[in-house]
Amino acid sequence: MKFYVCIKQVPDVDAPIQIKDGNLIQDTDRMILNAYDASAVEEALVLTEEDDDSEVEVVLVGPDKAQETIRKALAMGADKATHIKTNGDENFDSGTYARILAKFFEDKEYDVISCGKQSQDTDAGLTGGMLAQHLDLPYATNAVGLELEDGNLIVKRQGDSGQEVIALPQPCLVTCSNDMNEPRIPSLKGIMQSKRKPMESVELEDLGLDESALQPKTEVTGYMEKPGREPGQKFEGEPDELAEKVAHLLDEEENVV
Amino acid sequence: MSTLLTHIAISDGKIKRSSLEVLSHLRQQAEANGHDTEAVIIDQNASQYVDQVKEYGPSTIYTIEDPIFENHRNTPLLKALGQVMDEADPHVFAFGSTESTKDILGALAARQDAAVLSDVSEFELTDEGIKARRPVMAAKILSDSVAKGDKILVSVRSGSYDLDESSADSEVVNLDFSIDESDIKATLRDIIGADSDKIDLSEAETIVAAGRGAKDDEGQELINELASVLNAGIGASRALTEAGVMDPSLQIGQTGKVVSPQLYIAVGISGAIQHVAGMANSKVIVAINKDPDAPIFDIADYGIVGDLYKVLPPFIEELKKIKS
Repeated sequence: MKFYVCIKQVPDVDAPIQIKDGNLIQDTDRMILNAYDASAVEEALVLTEEDDDSEVEVVLVGPDKAQETIRKALAMGADKATHIKTNGDENFDSGTYARILAKFFEDKEYDVISCGKQSQDTDAGLTGGMLAQHLDLPYATNAVGLELEDGNLIVKRQGDSGQEVIALPQPCLVTCSNDMNEPRIPSLKGIMQSKRKPMESVELEDLGLDESALQPKTEVTGYMEKPGREPGQKFEGEPDELAEKVAHLLDEEENVV
Repeated sequence: MSTLLTHIAISDGKIKRSSLEVLSHLRQQAEANGHDTEAVIIDQNASQYVDQVKEYGPSTIYTIEDPIFENHRNTPLLKALGQVMDEADPHVFAFGSTESTKDILGALAARQDAAVLSDVSEFELTDEGIKARRPVMAAKILSDSVAKGDKILVSVRSGSYDLDESSADSEVVNLDFSIDESDIKATLRDIIGADSDKIDLSEAETIVAAGRGAKDDEGQELINELASVLNAGIGASRALTEAGVMDPSLQIGQTGKVVSPQLYIAVGISGAIQHVAGMANSKVIVAINKDPDAPIFDIADYGIVGDLYKVLPPFIEELKKIKS
Protein backbone atom coordinates (compact mmCIF):
# COMPACT_ATOMS: atom_id res chain seq x y z
CA MET A 1 0.00 0.00 0.00
CA LYS A 2 1.03 3.58 -0.56
CA PHE A 3 1.16 5.91 2.41
CA TYR A 4 1.90 9.59 2.03
CA VAL A 5 2.78 11.58 5.14
CA CYS A 6 2.76 15.38 4.88
CA ILE A 7 5.34 16.88 7.20
CA LYS A 8 6.44 20.38 8.16
CA GLN A 9 9.53 21.94 9.62
CA VAL A 10 8.69 24.14 12.60
CA PRO A 11 10.56 26.09 15.27
CA ASP A 12 11.12 24.19 18.50
CA VAL A 13 8.59 25.65 20.92
CA ASP A 14 10.86 24.69 23.81
CA ALA A 15 13.56 27.08 22.55
CA PRO A 16 13.65 30.64 23.93
CA ILE A 17 11.50 33.03 21.92
CA GLN A 18 12.30 36.67 21.19
CA ILE A 19 9.99 39.31 19.86
CA LYS A 20 11.43 42.45 18.33
CA ASP A 21 9.22 45.24 16.95
CA GLY A 22 6.32 42.84 16.64
CA ASN A 23 8.38 40.28 14.74
CA LEU A 24 9.22 36.83 15.94
CA ILE A 25 12.96 36.22 16.03
CA GLN A 26 13.45 32.53 15.43
CA ASP A 27 16.60 30.61 16.08
CA THR A 28 17.16 28.86 12.78
CA ASP A 29 19.32 26.27 14.52
CA ARG A 30 16.30 25.11 16.46
CA MET A 31 14.06 23.97 13.62
CA ILE A 32 12.56 20.51 14.02
CA LEU A 33 10.12 18.01 12.56
CA ASN A 34 6.67 19.01 13.84
CA ALA A 35 5.95 16.61 16.73
CA TYR A 36 2.48 15.72 15.46
CA ASP A 37 3.88 14.94 12.01
CA ALA A 38 6.54 12.77 13.65
CA SER A 39 3.73 10.71 15.15
CA ALA A 40 2.12 10.43 11.72
CA VAL A 41 5.42 9.18 10.25
CA GLU A 42 5.87 6.70 13.10
CA GLU A 43 2.35 5.31 12.69
CA ALA A 44 2.73 4.94 8.92
CA LEU A 45 5.94 2.96 9.49
CA VAL A 46 4.32 0.71 12.08
CA LEU A 47 1.24 0.05 9.95
CA THR A 48 3.26 -0.87 6.87
CA GLU A 49 6.19 -2.75 8.40
CA GLU A 50 4.72 -6.23 7.77
CA ASP A 51 3.98 -5.51 4.14
CA ASP A 52 6.99 -5.59 1.79
CA ASP A 53 5.05 -4.01 -1.06
CA SER A 54 4.15 -0.97 0.93
CA GLU A 55 5.80 2.37 0.58
CA VAL A 56 5.87 5.39 2.88
CA GLU A 57 6.62 8.68 1.18
CA VAL A 58 6.94 11.98 3.01
CA VAL A 59 6.03 15.30 1.39
CA LEU A 60 7.24 18.63 2.68
CA VAL A 61 6.48 22.15 1.49
CA GLY A 62 9.25 24.46 2.60
CA PRO A 63 12.60 26.10 1.93
CA ASP A 64 15.93 24.31 1.26
CA LYS A 65 16.74 24.41 4.95
CA ALA A 66 13.80 22.09 5.58
CA GLN A 67 15.60 19.24 3.83
CA GLU A 68 17.18 18.36 7.17
CA THR A 69 13.68 17.63 8.42
CA ILE A 70 12.97 15.44 5.39
CA ARG A 71 16.20 13.53 6.14
CA LYS A 72 15.01 13.01 9.70
CA ALA A 73 11.80 11.37 8.44
CA LEU A 74 13.81 9.24 6.00
CA ALA A 75 16.16 8.26 8.81
CA MET A 76 13.18 7.16 10.87
CA GLY A 77 12.39 4.77 8.01
CA ALA A 78 10.29 6.47 5.35
CA ASP A 79 11.19 5.13 1.90
CA LYS A 80 11.28 8.28 -0.16
CA ALA A 81 10.46 11.95 -0.15
CA THR A 82 9.22 14.85 -2.20
CA HIS A 83 10.35 18.36 -1.37
CA ILE A 84 8.10 21.10 -2.75
CA LYS A 85 10.40 24.07 -2.64
CA THR A 86 9.49 27.52 -1.43
CA ASN A 87 11.66 30.54 -0.70
CA GLY A 88 10.70 30.42 2.94
CA ASP A 89 9.78 34.08 3.10
CA GLU A 90 6.23 33.70 1.75
CA ASN A 91 3.36 34.44 4.10
CA PHE A 92 1.57 31.18 3.39
CA ASP A 93 -1.34 30.30 5.65
CA SER A 94 -2.98 26.90 6.18
CA GLY A 95 -5.11 27.42 3.09
CA THR A 96 -2.10 28.04 0.87
CA TYR A 97 -0.33 24.91 2.09
CA ALA A 98 -3.49 22.87 1.56
CA ARG A 99 -3.91 24.16 -2.02
CA ILE A 100 -0.26 23.41 -2.82
CA LEU A 101 -0.52 19.89 -1.41
CA ALA A 102 -3.85 19.30 -3.17
CA LYS A 103 -2.24 20.21 -6.48
CA PHE A 104 0.64 17.84 -5.78
CA PHE A 105 -1.70 14.94 -4.97
CA GLU A 106 -3.98 15.62 -7.94
CA ASP A 107 -2.30 13.02 -10.17
CA LYS A 108 -0.94 10.72 -7.46
CA GLU A 109 -2.20 7.33 -6.41
CA TYR A 110 -2.34 6.47 -2.74
CA ASP A 111 -4.23 4.55 -0.10
CA VAL A 112 -3.73 6.85 2.85
CA ILE A 113 -2.57 10.45 3.28
CA SER A 114 -1.71 11.38 6.84
CA CYS A 115 -0.31 14.39 8.64
CA GLY A 116 -0.11 15.84 12.13
CA LYS A 117 -3.35 17.25 13.50
CA GLN A 118 -1.78 20.68 13.83
CA SER A 119 1.62 22.25 13.65
CA GLN A 120 3.15 23.01 16.99
CA ASP A 121 4.10 26.59 16.18
CA THR A 122 0.72 27.93 15.02
CA ASP A 123 -1.63 25.29 16.46
CA ALA A 124 -4.11 26.15 13.69
CA GLY A 125 -5.09 22.56 12.89
CA LEU A 126 -6.70 23.39 9.56
CA THR A 127 -4.55 22.03 6.74
CA GLY A 128 -5.54 18.36 7.02
CA GLY A 129 -9.28 18.99 6.77
CA MET A 130 -8.73 21.45 3.93
CA LEU A 131 -6.66 18.94 1.99
CA ALA A 132 -9.29 16.22 2.46
CA GLN A 133 -11.93 18.59 1.13
CA HIS A 134 -9.87 19.57 -1.92
CA LEU A 135 -9.22 15.91 -2.73
CA ASP A 136 -12.77 14.86 -1.82
CA LEU A 137 -11.49 12.17 0.55
CA PRO A 138 -13.23 10.72 3.61
CA TYR A 139 -11.21 11.87 6.59
CA ALA A 140 -10.86 11.95 10.35
CA THR A 141 -8.90 14.33 12.55
CA ASN A 142 -7.21 14.04 15.94
CA ALA A 143 -6.52 10.31 15.62
CA VAL A 144 -5.13 8.61 18.72
CA GLY A 145 -4.97 5.14 17.17
CA LEU A 146 -4.90 3.63 13.66
CA GLU A 147 -5.42 0.11 12.33
CA LEU A 148 -5.70 -1.38 8.86
CA GLU A 149 -8.57 -3.69 8.00
CA ASP A 150 -9.48 -4.94 4.48
CA GLY A 151 -9.37 -1.72 2.55
CA ASN A 152 -10.42 0.37 5.53
CA LEU A 153 -8.40 2.54 7.84
CA ILE A 154 -9.85 2.22 11.33
CA VAL A 155 -9.36 5.48 13.18
CA LYS A 156 -9.84 6.00 16.86
CA ARG A 157 -10.23 9.77 17.32
CA GLN A 158 -10.58 11.82 20.44
CA GLY A 159 -13.93 13.57 20.25
CA ASP A 160 -15.59 16.00 22.64
CA SER A 161 -16.71 13.42 25.16
CA GLY A 162 -15.42 10.05 24.10
CA GLN A 163 -13.26 8.28 21.56
CA GLU A 164 -15.00 7.78 18.25
CA VAL A 165 -14.09 4.66 16.26
CA ILE A 166 -14.45 5.42 12.56
CA ALA A 167 -13.92 3.18 9.54
CA LEU A 168 -12.60 5.15 6.57
CA PRO A 169 -12.59 3.40 3.18
CA GLN A 170 -9.30 3.95 1.36
CA PRO A 171 -8.19 6.21 -0.14
CA CYS A 172 -8.64 8.46 2.85
CA LEU A 173 -6.93 11.10 4.94
CA VAL A 174 -6.21 11.16 8.65
CA THR A 175 -4.62 13.72 10.98
CA CYS A 176 -2.67 12.37 13.92
CA SER A 177 -2.35 13.34 17.56
CA ASN A 178 0.99 12.86 19.27
CA ASP A 179 -0.85 10.67 21.78
CA MET A 180 -0.89 7.70 19.43
CA ASN A 181 2.74 6.67 19.75
CA GLU A 182 6.28 7.61 20.71
CA PRO A 183 8.13 8.44 17.48
CA ARG A 184 11.33 6.43 17.12
CA ILE A 185 14.71 8.10 17.32
CA PRO A 186 16.60 7.38 14.09
CA SER A 187 19.35 4.80 14.45
CA LEU A 188 22.84 5.42 13.12
CA LYS A 189 22.08 2.92 10.35
CA GLY A 190 18.86 4.78 9.57
CA ILE A 191 20.73 8.05 9.35
CA MET A 192 23.33 6.53 6.99
CA GLN A 193 20.62 4.98 4.81
CA SER A 194 18.62 8.20 4.68
CA LYS A 195 21.39 9.84 2.67
CA ARG A 196 20.91 7.35 -0.15
CA LYS A 197 17.12 7.41 -0.19
CA PRO A 198 15.42 9.19 -3.11
CA MET A 199 14.34 12.77 -2.54
CA GLU A 200 12.64 14.47 -5.42
CA SER A 201 12.57 18.24 -5.55
CA VAL A 202 9.63 20.01 -7.12
CA GLU A 203 9.64 23.73 -7.80
CA LEU A 204 6.46 25.42 -6.72
CA GLU A 205 6.07 26.91 -10.23
CA ASP A 206 6.17 23.43 -11.76
CA LEU A 207 3.00 22.41 -9.97
CA GLY A 208 1.07 24.81 -12.20
CA LEU A 209 -0.83 26.55 -9.45
CA ASP A 210 -2.72 29.74 -10.26
CA GLU A 211 -1.29 32.88 -8.75
CA SER A 212 -4.55 33.31 -6.83
CA ALA A 213 -4.17 29.89 -5.21
CA LEU A 214 -0.95 31.07 -3.59
CA GLN A 215 -2.56 34.16 -2.10
CA PRO A 216 -3.22 33.63 1.60
CA LYS A 217 -6.60 34.76 2.91
CA THR A 218 -5.23 35.44 6.37
CA GLU A 219 -2.13 37.20 7.52
CA VAL A 220 -0.23 37.51 10.79
CA THR A 221 0.29 41.21 11.46
CA GLY A 222 2.39 40.99 14.60
CA TYR A 223 3.47 39.12 17.68
CA MET A 224 3.50 40.19 21.29
CA GLU A 225 4.41 38.93 24.70
CA LYS A 226 1.61 37.45 26.70
CA PRO A 227 0.60 39.62 29.59
CA GLY A 228 2.40 37.75 32.35
CA ARG A 229 0.69 36.46 35.45
CA GLU A 230 1.56 38.42 38.56
CA PRO A 231 4.08 36.45 40.57
CA GLY A 232 2.14 34.48 43.14
CA GLN A 233 2.88 33.38 46.67
CA LYS A 234 4.85 30.23 47.30
CA PHE A 235 4.56 28.60 50.69
CA GLU A 236 6.91 26.14 52.32
CA GLY A 237 6.63 24.56 55.73
CA GLU A 238 4.28 22.33 57.70
CA PRO A 239 1.76 20.71 55.32
CA ASP A 240 -1.15 21.10 57.75
CA GLU A 241 -0.58 24.80 58.18
CA LEU A 242 0.00 25.44 54.49
CA ALA A 243 -3.13 23.53 53.50
CA GLU A 244 -5.22 25.47 55.98
CA LYS A 245 -3.75 28.81 54.93
CA VAL A 246 -4.27 28.29 51.19
CA ALA A 247 -7.79 26.92 51.65
CA HIS A 248 -8.73 30.11 53.50
CA LEU A 249 -7.04 32.34 50.95
CA LEU A 250 -9.08 30.69 48.19
CA ASP A 251 -12.24 31.26 50.19
CA GLU A 252 -11.65 34.71 51.65
CA GLU A 253 -9.33 36.44 49.16
CA GLU A 254 -10.38 34.82 45.90
CA ASN A 255 -13.90 33.67 46.61
CA VAL A 256 -13.48 30.64 44.35
CA VAL A 257 -14.43 27.71 46.59
CA MET B 1 -25.60 45.28 6.51
CA SER B 2 -23.95 41.89 6.75
CA THR B 3 -24.93 38.75 8.58
CA LEU B 4 -22.89 37.48 11.51
CA LEU B 5 -23.80 33.84 12.10
CA THR B 6 -23.02 31.72 15.18
CA HIS B 7 -23.02 27.93 15.28
CA ILE B 8 -24.77 26.65 18.40
CA ALA B 9 -23.10 23.38 19.36
CA ILE B 10 -25.06 20.76 21.27
CA SER B 11 -23.24 18.18 23.36
CA ASP B 12 -24.80 15.58 25.65
CA GLY B 13 -28.21 17.22 25.31
CA LYS B 14 -27.00 20.69 26.30
CA ILE B 15 -25.96 23.83 24.48
CA LYS B 16 -22.21 24.33 24.80
CA ARG B 17 -21.61 27.46 26.82
CA SER B 18 -18.82 28.47 24.46
CA SER B 19 -21.39 28.81 21.63
CA LEU B 20 -23.42 31.25 23.71
CA GLU B 21 -20.27 33.18 24.62
CA VAL B 22 -19.53 33.55 20.91
CA LEU B 23 -23.13 34.53 20.13
CA SER B 24 -23.04 37.16 22.92
CA HIS B 25 -19.86 38.65 21.51
CA LEU B 26 -21.07 38.60 17.90
CA ARG B 27 -24.32 40.32 18.86
CA GLN B 28 -22.34 43.09 20.55
CA GLN B 29 -20.14 43.39 17.46
CA ALA B 30 -23.24 43.47 15.23
CA GLU B 31 -24.87 46.20 17.32
CA ALA B 32 -21.72 48.31 17.24
CA ASN B 33 -21.30 47.95 13.48
CA GLY B 34 -24.90 47.85 12.26
CA HIS B 35 -24.97 44.19 11.28
CA ASP B 36 -27.45 41.37 11.71
CA THR B 37 -26.94 38.50 14.19
CA GLU B 38 -28.15 35.01 13.34
CA ALA B 39 -27.63 31.55 14.81
CA VAL B 40 -27.88 27.97 13.63
CA ILE B 41 -28.62 24.80 15.57
CA ILE B 42 -27.84 21.47 13.92
CA ASP B 43 -28.95 18.53 16.04
CA GLN B 44 -31.31 15.57 16.18
CA ASN B 45 -33.51 17.68 18.49
CA ALA B 46 -32.55 21.14 17.23
CA SER B 47 -35.92 22.79 17.91
CA GLN B 48 -35.64 22.01 21.65
CA TYR B 49 -32.90 24.57 22.03
CA VAL B 50 -34.49 27.46 20.15
CA ASP B 51 -36.01 29.17 23.21
CA GLN B 52 -32.73 29.21 25.04
CA VAL B 53 -30.94 30.70 22.02
CA LYS B 54 -33.59 33.44 21.70
CA GLU B 55 -32.39 34.76 25.07
CA TYR B 56 -29.20 35.86 23.34
CA GLY B 57 -30.99 37.95 20.76
CA PRO B 58 -30.32 36.68 17.22
CA SER B 59 -32.76 38.01 14.64
CA THR B 60 -32.99 34.61 12.95
CA ILE B 61 -32.40 31.10 14.23
CA TYR B 62 -31.92 28.39 11.63
CA THR B 63 -32.55 24.81 12.69
CA ILE B 64 -31.56 21.63 10.94
CA GLU B 65 -33.07 18.64 12.66
CA ASP B 66 -32.21 15.12 11.62
CA PRO B 67 -31.47 11.84 13.45
CA ILE B 68 -28.12 11.69 11.66
CA PHE B 69 -26.85 14.39 14.03
CA GLU B 70 -27.18 12.16 17.10
CA ASN B 71 -23.40 11.77 17.10
CA HIS B 72 -20.66 13.87 15.58
CA ARG B 73 -19.99 12.81 11.97
CA ASN B 74 -18.11 15.19 9.74
CA THR B 75 -19.71 14.44 6.35
CA PRO B 76 -23.34 15.24 7.26
CA LEU B 77 -22.30 18.14 9.49
CA LEU B 78 -20.31 19.70 6.64
CA LYS B 79 -23.23 19.32 4.29
CA ALA B 80 -25.59 20.97 6.78
CA LEU B 81 -23.17 23.83 7.50
CA GLY B 82 -22.72 24.42 3.79
CA GLN B 83 -26.49 24.50 3.36
CA VAL B 84 -26.84 27.11 6.12
CA MET B 85 -24.08 29.22 4.62
CA ASP B 86 -25.83 29.17 1.25
CA GLU B 87 -29.07 30.20 2.94
CA ALA B 88 -27.78 32.85 5.37
CA ASP B 89 -24.82 34.08 3.31
CA PRO B 90 -22.89 35.13 6.42
CA HIS B 91 -19.99 37.55 6.29
CA VAL B 92 -18.67 35.97 9.49
CA PHE B 93 -19.53 32.47 10.72
CA ALA B 94 -18.30 31.89 14.27
CA PHE B 95 -17.92 28.71 16.31
CA GLY B 96 -16.98 27.76 19.83
CA SER B 97 -13.75 25.82 19.55
CA THR B 98 -14.76 22.23 20.39
CA GLU B 99 -13.24 18.98 19.10
CA SER B 100 -16.19 18.74 16.70
CA THR B 101 -15.49 22.25 15.41
CA LYS B 102 -11.81 21.43 14.97
CA ASP B 103 -12.84 18.39 12.93
CA ILE B 104 -14.80 20.39 10.33
CA LEU B 105 -13.43 23.93 10.28
CA GLY B 106 -10.64 23.43 7.72
CA ALA B 107 -12.83 21.38 5.39
CA LEU B 108 -15.67 23.89 5.60
CA ALA B 109 -13.31 26.76 4.80
CA ALA B 110 -11.97 24.90 1.75
CA ARG B 111 -15.45 23.93 0.61
CA GLN B 112 -16.74 27.52 0.89
CA ASP B 113 -13.49 29.17 -0.25
CA ALA B 114 -13.59 31.14 3.00
CA ALA B 115 -10.83 32.72 5.07
CA VAL B 116 -10.46 31.04 8.45
CA LEU B 117 -8.83 31.72 11.81
CA SER B 118 -9.01 28.95 14.40
CA ASP B 119 -8.85 28.92 18.17
CA VAL B 120 -8.73 32.68 18.67
CA SER B 121 -8.96 34.26 22.10
CA GLU B 122 -10.33 37.62 20.85
CA PHE B 123 -11.66 38.98 17.60
CA GLU B 124 -13.42 42.02 16.24
CA LEU B 125 -14.85 43.20 12.96
CA THR B 126 -12.90 45.55 10.75
CA ASP B 127 -13.75 47.22 7.46
CA GLU B 128 -12.03 44.44 5.56
CA GLY B 129 -12.95 41.42 7.63
CA ILE B 130 -11.86 40.52 11.12
CA LYS B 131 -8.77 40.89 13.21
CA ALA B 132 -8.08 38.31 15.84
CA ARG B 133 -5.62 37.47 18.55
CA ARG B 134 -4.48 33.91 19.06
CA PRO B 135 -1.96 32.19 21.29
CA VAL B 136 0.88 30.56 19.33
CA MET B 137 4.16 28.75 20.06
CA ALA B 138 2.51 26.53 22.68
CA ALA B 139 0.67 29.63 23.97
CA LYS B 140 3.95 31.25 25.03
CA ILE B 141 3.19 34.33 22.93
CA LEU B 142 0.26 35.94 21.15
CA SER B 143 -0.15 36.73 17.49
CA ASP B 144 -2.44 39.22 15.80
CA SER B 145 -3.96 38.09 12.53
CA VAL B 146 -6.34 39.47 9.99
CA ALA B 147 -8.73 37.56 7.77
CA LYS B 148 -10.09 39.29 4.71
CA GLY B 149 -12.90 38.60 2.32
CA ASP B 150 -16.65 38.16 2.04
CA LYS B 151 -16.70 34.89 3.92
CA ILE B 152 -14.78 34.41 7.15
CA LEU B 153 -14.87 31.50 9.55
CA VAL B 154 -13.58 31.87 13.09
CA SER B 155 -13.46 29.54 16.09
CA VAL B 156 -13.14 30.95 19.58
CA ARG B 157 -11.60 29.40 22.68
CA SER B 158 -14.07 28.72 25.45
CA GLY B 159 -14.09 31.29 28.23
CA SER B 160 -13.02 34.12 25.92
CA TYR B 161 -16.22 36.14 26.37
CA ASP B 162 -18.87 36.63 29.03
CA LEU B 163 -22.45 35.58 28.45
CA ASP B 164 -24.69 38.54 27.66
CA GLU B 165 -28.42 37.93 27.40
CA SER B 166 -30.64 40.23 25.36
CA SER B 167 -33.83 38.44 24.51
CA ALA B 168 -35.31 38.81 21.03
CA ASP B 169 -38.35 37.51 19.23
CA SER B 170 -36.20 35.65 16.73
CA GLU B 171 -37.58 34.33 13.48
CA VAL B 172 -37.13 30.55 13.34
CA VAL B 173 -36.30 29.00 9.98
CA ASN B 174 -36.33 25.22 9.74
CA LEU B 175 -34.20 23.96 6.88
CA ASP B 176 -34.96 20.59 5.31
CA PHE B 177 -32.03 18.22 5.31
CA SER B 178 -31.38 14.90 3.72
CA ILE B 179 -28.31 12.86 3.00
CA ASP B 180 -27.90 9.40 1.50
CA GLU B 181 -26.05 6.99 3.74
CA SER B 182 -24.14 6.01 0.59
CA ASP B 183 -22.74 9.55 0.42
CA ILE B 184 -21.22 9.12 3.86
CA LYS B 185 -18.16 7.05 3.17
CA ALA B 186 -16.95 7.05 6.77
CA THR B 187 -18.72 4.75 9.21
CA LEU B 188 -18.97 5.57 12.91
CA ARG B 189 -18.57 2.19 14.57
CA ASP B 190 -18.40 2.98 18.23
CA ILE B 191 -17.95 5.65 20.85
CA ILE B 192 -15.78 4.62 23.75
CA GLY B 193 -15.79 6.17 27.18
CA ALA B 194 -18.46 8.76 26.52
CA ASP B 195 -19.82 9.55 29.95
CA SER B 196 -22.48 12.21 30.04
CA ASP B 197 -22.36 12.50 33.86
CA LYS B 198 -18.82 13.76 33.73
CA ILE B 199 -18.20 17.48 34.25
CA ASP B 200 -17.24 19.04 30.91
CA LEU B 201 -13.71 20.36 31.44
CA SER B 202 -14.01 23.07 28.81
CA GLU B 203 -16.86 24.59 30.79
CA ALA B 204 -15.94 23.67 34.39
CA GLU B 205 -15.74 26.43 37.03
CA THR B 206 -13.23 24.45 39.04
CA ILE B 207 -10.70 21.88 37.86
CA VAL B 208 -8.48 19.57 39.85
CA ALA B 209 -5.70 18.30 37.61
CA ALA B 210 -3.42 15.41 38.43
CA GLY B 211 0.13 14.88 37.22
CA ARG B 212 2.82 12.29 37.47
CA GLY B 213 3.10 12.93 41.21
CA ALA B 214 -0.42 11.60 41.76
CA LYS B 215 -0.03 8.49 39.67
CA ASP B 216 -0.76 5.75 42.22
CA ASP B 217 -4.09 4.64 43.70
CA GLU B 218 -3.73 6.73 46.83
CA GLY B 219 -2.99 9.82 44.75
CA GLN B 220 -5.99 9.15 42.51
CA GLU B 221 -8.23 8.71 45.53
CA LEU B 222 -7.12 12.05 46.96
CA ILE B 223 -7.71 13.75 43.60
CA ASN B 224 -11.22 12.31 43.42
CA GLU B 225 -11.98 13.39 46.96
CA LEU B 226 -10.71 16.94 46.40
CA ALA B 227 -12.73 17.21 43.17
CA SER B 228 -15.83 15.94 44.90
CA VAL B 229 -15.54 18.50 47.73
CA LEU B 230 -15.19 21.32 45.20
CA ASN B 231 -17.65 19.87 42.66
CA ALA B 232 -14.75 20.14 40.25
CA GLY B 233 -13.95 18.57 36.90
CA ILE B 234 -10.95 16.26 36.93
CA GLY B 235 -8.16 16.79 34.44
CA ALA B 236 -4.75 15.28 33.88
CA SER B 237 -1.35 16.04 32.48
CA ARG B 238 -0.13 14.13 29.46
CA ALA B 239 2.10 12.00 31.70
CA LEU B 240 -0.97 10.43 33.31
CA THR B 241 -3.11 9.92 30.21
CA GLU B 242 -0.14 8.40 28.38
CA ALA B 243 0.54 6.05 31.25
CA GLY B 244 -3.07 4.92 30.94
CA VAL B 245 -3.84 6.03 34.51
CA MET B 246 -6.47 8.51 33.37
CA ASP B 247 -8.76 8.73 30.36
CA PRO B 248 -7.27 10.54 27.33
CA SER B 249 -10.32 12.83 27.16
CA LEU B 250 -9.17 14.37 30.45
CA GLN B 251 -5.86 15.59 29.11
CA ILE B 252 -5.28 19.32 29.49
CA GLY B 253 -2.67 21.08 27.39
CA GLN B 254 -1.57 21.95 23.89
CA THR B 255 -2.55 18.47 22.70
CA GLY B 256 -5.64 18.08 24.82
CA LYS B 257 -8.25 20.45 26.13
CA VAL B 258 -7.76 24.18 26.65
CA VAL B 259 -9.51 25.25 29.84
CA SER B 260 -10.18 28.51 31.63
CA PRO B 261 -11.85 27.79 34.98
CA GLN B 262 -12.16 30.15 37.94
CA LEU B 263 -9.97 27.83 40.00
CA TYR B 264 -7.35 25.38 38.73
CA ILE B 265 -5.57 23.15 41.21
CA ALA B 266 -2.52 21.43 39.74
CA VAL B 267 -1.51 18.47 41.88
CA GLY B 268 1.84 16.82 41.24
CA ILE B 269 2.15 18.58 37.87
CA SER B 270 5.57 19.97 37.03
CA GLY B 271 4.20 22.48 34.50
CA ALA B 272 5.77 21.70 31.13
CA ILE B 273 4.93 24.43 28.61
CA GLN B 274 2.68 22.04 26.70
CA HIS B 275 0.52 21.64 29.81
CA VAL B 276 0.62 25.32 30.71
CA ALA B 277 -0.59 26.12 27.16
CA GLY B 278 -3.89 24.52 28.10
CA MET B 279 -4.53 26.13 31.47
CA ALA B 280 -2.65 29.44 31.77
CA ASN B 281 -5.88 31.41 31.33
CA SER B 282 -7.39 30.02 34.53
CA LYS B 283 -8.37 32.80 36.93
CA VAL B 284 -6.72 31.41 40.06
CA ILE B 285 -4.04 28.74 39.86
CA VAL B 286 -2.97 26.65 42.84
CA ALA B 287 0.01 24.33 42.52
CA ILE B 288 0.96 21.56 44.90
CA ASN B 289 4.35 20.03 44.17
CA LYS B 290 7.23 18.73 46.21
CA ASP B 291 9.84 20.17 43.86
CA PRO B 292 10.29 23.85 44.80
CA ASP B 293 11.82 24.52 41.38
CA ALA B 294 8.91 23.06 39.39
CA PRO B 295 7.98 25.53 36.61
CA ILE B 296 4.31 25.34 37.61
CA PHE B 297 5.17 27.64 40.54
CA ASP B 298 6.12 30.39 38.06
CA ILE B 299 2.52 30.75 37.00
CA ALA B 300 0.69 29.71 40.18
CA ASP B 301 -1.05 32.33 42.32
CA TYR B 302 -0.66 30.06 45.32
CA GLY B 303 2.07 27.47 45.45
CA ILE B 304 2.39 24.85 48.14
CA VAL B 305 5.78 23.19 48.22
CA GLY B 306 5.18 19.82 49.73
CA ASP B 307 4.32 16.17 49.37
CA LEU B 308 0.80 15.94 47.98
CA TYR B 309 0.06 12.94 50.21
CA LYS B 310 0.72 15.12 53.24
CA VAL B 311 -0.82 18.34 51.89
CA LEU B 312 -4.05 17.08 50.32
CA PRO B 313 -5.68 15.40 53.36
CA PRO B 314 -5.64 18.55 55.55
CA PHE B 315 -6.45 20.69 52.49
CA ILE B 316 -9.53 18.57 51.76
CA GLU B 317 -10.57 18.68 55.45
CA GLU B 318 -10.24 22.45 55.58
CA LEU B 319 -12.22 22.91 52.36
CA LYS B 320 -14.94 20.63 53.73
CA LYS B 321 -15.19 22.88 56.79
CA ILE B 322 -15.36 25.99 54.61
CA LYS B 323 -18.01 24.49 52.34
CA SER B 324 -20.22 23.26 55.19
